[in-house]
Amino acid sequence: MVETREQKERGSIKIFIQVRDLHKDFKLGKEDINILKGINLDIEQGEMVALLGPSGSGKSTFLNVLGGLVPPTSGDIMIRDYHISEMLENELCLFRREHLGFIFQSYNLISTMTAMENVALALTFAGVKKEIRKKRAIEALEVVGLVDRMGHKPSELSGGQQQRVSIARALVNHPEIILADEPTGNLDSKTSADIMEMIYRLNREENQTFVIVTHDPDTTKYCTKVIHMQDGLIESEVNQ
Amino acid sequence: MKFRTILTIIGVVIGTSSIIVMVSIGNGAQKSITDELSGIGSVTTLQVYQDLSSMGMTSMGSGKTEDKPILNDDAIKDMKKIDGVVAVTPVVNLSGGEIEVDREQYGVSLMGVDYGVLEDMRYETTSGKKPGANDENSVILGKDILTSLTYTGASTQLTESEVKPEDLIGQNISMTIKRTNANGEEEIKTQKLKVTGVLESTGGNEDYSVIANYNLVTELNEWQTGKKANVKKQGYTQALVTVEDSTVVNAVTTEVEAMEFTVFSMQQILDSMGSVFQMLQILLGGIGGVALLVACIGIVNTMTMSIYERTKEIGIMKVIGASISDIRNMFIAESTMIGLIGGLVGIVISLVLSVLINLIAGFFIGGEGGVTISFITPGLVIFALVFSALVGLLSGVRPAIKAANLSSLDAIRSE
Repeated sequence: MVETREQKERGSIKIFIQVRDLHKDFKLGKEDINILKGINLDIEQGEMVALLGPSGSGKSTFLNVLGGLVPPTSGDIMIRDYHISEMLENELCLFRREHLGFIFQSYNLISTMTAMENVALALTFAGVKKEIRKKRAIEALEVVGLVDRMGHKPSELSGGQQQRVSIARALVNHPEIILADEPTGNLDSKTSADIMEMIYRLNREENQTFVIVTHDPDTTKYCTKVIHMQDGLIESEVNQ
Repeated sequence: MKFRTILTIIGVVIGTSSIIVMVSIGNGAQKSITDELSGIGSVTTLQVYQDLSSMGMTSMGSGKTEDKPILNDDAIKDMKKIDGVVAVTPVVNLSGGEIEVDREQYGVSLMGVDYGVLEDMRYETTSGKKPGANDENSVILGKDILTSLTYTGASTQLTESEVKPEDLIGQNISMTIKRTNANGEEEIKTQKLKVTGVLESTGGNEDYSVIANYNLVTELNEWQTGKKANVKKQGYTQALVTVEDSTVVNAVTTEVEAMEFTVFSMQQILDSMGSVFQMLQILLGGIGGVALLVACIGIVNTMTMSIYERTKEIGIMKVIGASISDIRNMFIAESTMIGLIGGLVGIVISLVLSVLINLIAGFFIGGEGGVTISFITPGLVIFALVFSALVGLLSGVRPAIKAANLSSLDAIRSE
């Protein structure tokens, strides 16, 4: 792991995610609340970044802005050559489909669909043919070790299994970046460790870039970069 | 499938079937009446008159030879040449004849036609046969000729004679006509007529007339009026044009009208009745349409509810890469399916209802070969299906746009 980091630092690996002076205000009644107050950040390809901070520090909002789910008030986000902050909603949809995967604390699976269908859904919108969708969904479920439960609905799966389905869904498009909002927040420590091990493995094997919002210091040990946020600003940025 | 969706589909089913059944009743009424009219045969016969306005001009006494064409033998020859025309005959009428049958007097009118083309005309005899081309004094009797007004003493009333026209076939009857001569004296002429057949009902004047040879009727007319007929200059008052079948009626009508004659055909009546029935169908369809409108509101309601319920799902889909149009199309497809399924079930139910209505009507009204109260055309079925799908589609548009424009983050956070 240390070797890869050194490779990146010395090599020609360019900056993958570039955030410049990012602001986000929310209107609460008549008042403007500044959630993000000017964030600057560079992330390289293949990094695994942990975003830590107390509630209200803006870490989740930052992740959502990064994923194009919320437009920033001002500032610029570039992922590869794309100006996320300037994209229209439909362009963002296409961008998410091709480049981003999401993992949520509450899994966000569709309750009426089986594990396999949930994973394949992301491919449906990309216009992938049905047989190929199924094949790739099964491959993704293999990666998370859930092929034997692919016919089960989310309600028939444990929390850890549900989170693994949602990871498989995030993986199925082979995105370059996976954004995870408290992926282990609802899980016990044993399952949390399993999930983090899996994310770590994916990060190394597939060279996917992860940005993980967490409040659990245990998860940070898997990460290459740990960012502490406080009051809408980056307080500290530690490479490890 | 959700209970709510099933209820919505039932709404569409009721809407669709009420439209179909309503319109089918309009159709049924039209069909029975047009069948009735077409059945009486004269659909393929056009009545041609001298242009009425030109007759007006002569009566006003301009003295000049009019430039309007005259319905004479040349005109009849020209009409004969029109595509689809089978036979053309001049018609000359004589009224005021009287015949005596079984010691009863019957007033009759004679309708003289060209016996040379009688074979080609749509005059069919129910019994007996048509006279030949040279049978000067042979006639065919209209089927209601003896039920026409009978003179019993001072009063006139419609009574049916005990003698049927068929009984007269092969017999000679004598007809008398009267005229008042120059001295004011009444003269009577008796004409022997040989009955060869009875005419099938045409629904027109023929039923109450005696069909006779054109030459004979002209002769009698000349005697009655004391004037020679001048066909070449004055033309015939009427001609009958028989065409191949009902499909060429309108084309032939147009051509004859182009010759500046006035044309009258059963087809014109049918056409004008067609627009009346169209109005009736729109009215009936509109009544059914109200039910479909209510169903339409039901679809909007169901779709809106469904979107509230599935907000989180929509959010998830948007996050994992569904575009605005993906979401919109998904919901529009769903509401179109509601419309389409409702339409299909509605069609099946209306077909069953239509058969039932006709069966029950047949039971009460009677009549042979069933009764057509409700008549469903393939066009009506296709219209209903397309219309119900369209209603579903349109009802889904607003909710679908609403769904597509949900903020993905807000949607994903909702429970």
